[in-house]
Amino acid sequence: MNRRTFLLGTFATTAAIALGVNLYSPEFSSTDEQTEGKDYRLLFSVLLPVLLDGALPEVASHKLAAQNRTLDAINQSIAALSESQQDELFQLLDMLENRLGLLVLTSSMTPLLMRSPSELTQMLENWRYSYFSLMQTAYLGLRELVMASFYACPEHWSRIHYAKPVLFK
Amino acid sequence: MAIVDPIINGLNSGWLHTDGSQLKENQQFEADVVIVGTGAGGGVAAEILSQAGLSVIMIEAGQLRSSTDFNMEERVAYPNLYQQAAAMKTSDKAIGIFQGRSVGGSTTINWTTSIRTPTEALAFWEQQKSVKGLSRETLDPWFEQMEQRLNIHEWKFEPNRNNAALKQGCINLGWDYTVIKRNVAGCWNTGYCGMGCPVNAKQSMLVTTIPSALDKGAQLFSRVKVVKIEHHNGKVLALKAQALDSNSKPTSVELMFKAKHYIMSGGAIHTPVLMMRSDVPDPHKLLGKRTFLHPVLLSGAIFSDAINGHSGAPQSIYSDEFVWKNGVAGELGYKLEVPPIHPVLMASKLLGHGKEHAEAMANFNQFQLTIALVRDGYHPDSQGGQVRLTDKGFELDYPLTETFWRAARRSFASMAELQFAAGAMKVMPVSDGMPYFTSWKDAKEGIEQMTLAPLKTVVASAHVMGGCPFGEDEKLSMVDSYGQSHYLENLSVMDGSIFPTSLGANPQLSIYGITARNATALAQKLTDGREPQ
Ligand SMILES: Cc1cc2nc3c(=O)[nH]c(=O)nc-3n(C[C@H](O)[C@H](O)[C@H](O)COP(=O)(O)OP(=O)(O)OC[C@H]3O[C@@H](n4cnc5c(N)ncnc54)[C@H](O)[C@@H]3O)c2cc1C
Repeated sequence: MNRRTFLLGTFATTAAIALGVNLYSPEFSSTDEQTEGKDYRLLFSVLLPVLLDGALPEVASHKLAAQNRTLDAINQSIAALSESQQDELFQLLDMLENRLGLLVLTSSMTPLLMRSPSELTQMLENWRYSYFSLMQTAYLGLRELVMASFYACPEHWSRIHYAKPVLFK
Repeated sequence: MAIVDPIINGLNSGWLHTDGSQLKENQQFEADVVIVGTGAGGGVAAEILSQAGLSVIMIEAGQLRSSTDFNMEERVAYPNLYQQAAAMKTSDKAIGIFQGRSVGGSTTINWTTSIRTPTEALAFWEQQKSVKGLSRETLDPWFEQMEQRLNIHEWKFEPNRNNAALKQGCINLGWDYTVIKRNVAGCWNTGYCGMGCPVNAKQSMLVTTIPSALDKGAQLFSRVKVVKIEHHNGKVLALKAQALDSNSKPTSVELMFKAKHYIMSGGAIHTPVLMMRSDVPDPHKLLGKRTFLHPVLLSGAIFSDAINGHSGAPQSIYSDEFVWKNGVAGELGYKLEVPPIHPVLMASKLLGHGKEHAEAMANFNQFQLTIALVRDGYHPDSQGGQVRLTDKGFELDYPLTETFWRAARRSFASMAELQFAAGAMKVMPVSDGMPYFTSWKDAKEGIEQMTLAPLKTVVASAHVMGGCPFGEDEKLSMVDSYGQSHYLENLSVMDGSIFPTSLGANPQLSIYGITARNATALAQKLTDGREPQ
């Protein structure tokens, strides 16, 4: 069973573990223990439907494929970032997977997976229009990463009627 | 039709190229001149010095890529050809910065607009910044030489619709506009310059000066990053470098380069960073200060017919109506241009998310984007940014001052007026919370009231200048007007970092022309000991 089917097949439980695991280690993750091998797929799979609402295909199977494609692309995008950018991003993502971090960023400890799409939208809008630059940068960082990763995939270009020219037959 | 790849052919013909990622042990290399960086400055210097019969080593942190690799996709181009995968930002994240990182530097990915240094900038440098010998008359022959070398000609074809809107708006309003000169030969007019030219039409350093230097026996190191200038008693003794692996991470292999003369061409930001990290003498604390970006504001417009901003020469018309309008050191002026529009670029600069963003993206082909490049560094309240070293590298602070925001507001108004005059159905200043306006009258009122702020208002830049200024007064400059260090007798700087202000024009031709002058003088000095007059 490859990693993706595993994730999709046991989405709820795995997600609960992944997003709840830090319940028992309330301190924020330090930069040292992040990075290598860390996978934020579940976190992003919760945020994608909200950030990409209207851009993802409507047919369920296509939607799932587009989301998975974007999750792969996000991993690739993260790998291409500089070390200090990765550190900053991982710090943010760790906070979102961590109850205390969530409390700081969203005034609530409820794991993201257990929030409704409208609650997630509200959370993003709060960051977007926050007076705190930390929240605003969190919003912009996640937004840019997701948008850039989604629109980097040629599979997602048909909706915007874009195709690169064929130069050589 | 198959496209000839000059890089593959050159390598097969025996060019001396070393890919740092393949190196297994520490080594030392020597030449008459070692050049750090292969962009606009490094490429031109390499050709001139190797033509003068000097042995030359070029060191480039990025990889060697060529037309065969340029597949016209942003997901491939940005990580391979841009600094920090095109996601570089100022320290407060308010400005996104594009800079190149591959053989050819930013010229491999730039948009081909070629403009001589404006007379106003030259005069300001002479009067205020102690730069000597760079007047219209003395420089024009160098520009002419580089225009011929790089095939720089006025773009003779119809502008694409994105540029045509800029032109039409200017015509209808009676504003100044100019047809752009481009450094291309046999351009296919596809519109993918920013991802590397797949047909080798763009006369970037990758296909012009660097191959010519290699033909003359110069040696190229790619994926090798210079980390320290070893100097003692006013002289550079060597450059210390690290080989990088295929992910641009340092391997354990260390290289040492020795030469009679060393040229820094790592570009604004990286040249000052390397010099600061190496503790070169800087008694007046100038390094990394006054870094200029031509910070860019964006205005989006929807037209009823297709604009297809991704297709066709990305830049072919500009307007200088507002660049010098308020005097050189008065309220900041701005140049009006358009950029190429591709999905990742547009998606990451458009505001919001969810349905709001998706709907904006659905208009992709009807979207016209005008940009205003703010001329920074002349007004007393426009001191640019400051590069600082950090544990992991560097950061650039670039405060956006009230004076800048005043220029931003004026530029949003000019852009909206222009877009409506060109026939736009609706116009949106790209700043969070702004709606689409459906008339110039509404836009004018809305722009007067709009809130402008870092992180809210999108600001970007593809032009980085300054941080290691040239001039004769040591209180104002690190290197003299020929790029020769005031403090290290065998070190010169030849890249965009020498400009004491921004240019008010796209930088590449300024760097080509001034480097041609300075590298020619250096070649004379190194070959027959003659000092420049
Ligand atoms: C997307 C884009 C579009 C642009 N469009 C235009 C345009 O249309 N017209 C125009 O005039 N200008 C344009 N520019 C700007 C123009 O290309 C640059 O101003 C110019 O190339 C800068 O030249 P440079 O020599 O200072 O540095 P660069 O050309 O940036 O080259 C510097 C090189 O040095 C290397 N380097 C840095 N540090 C080290 C080190 N320590 N060791 C080894 N190598 C190192 C870098 O990897 C890089 O390859 C554009 C730039 C971009 C990014």
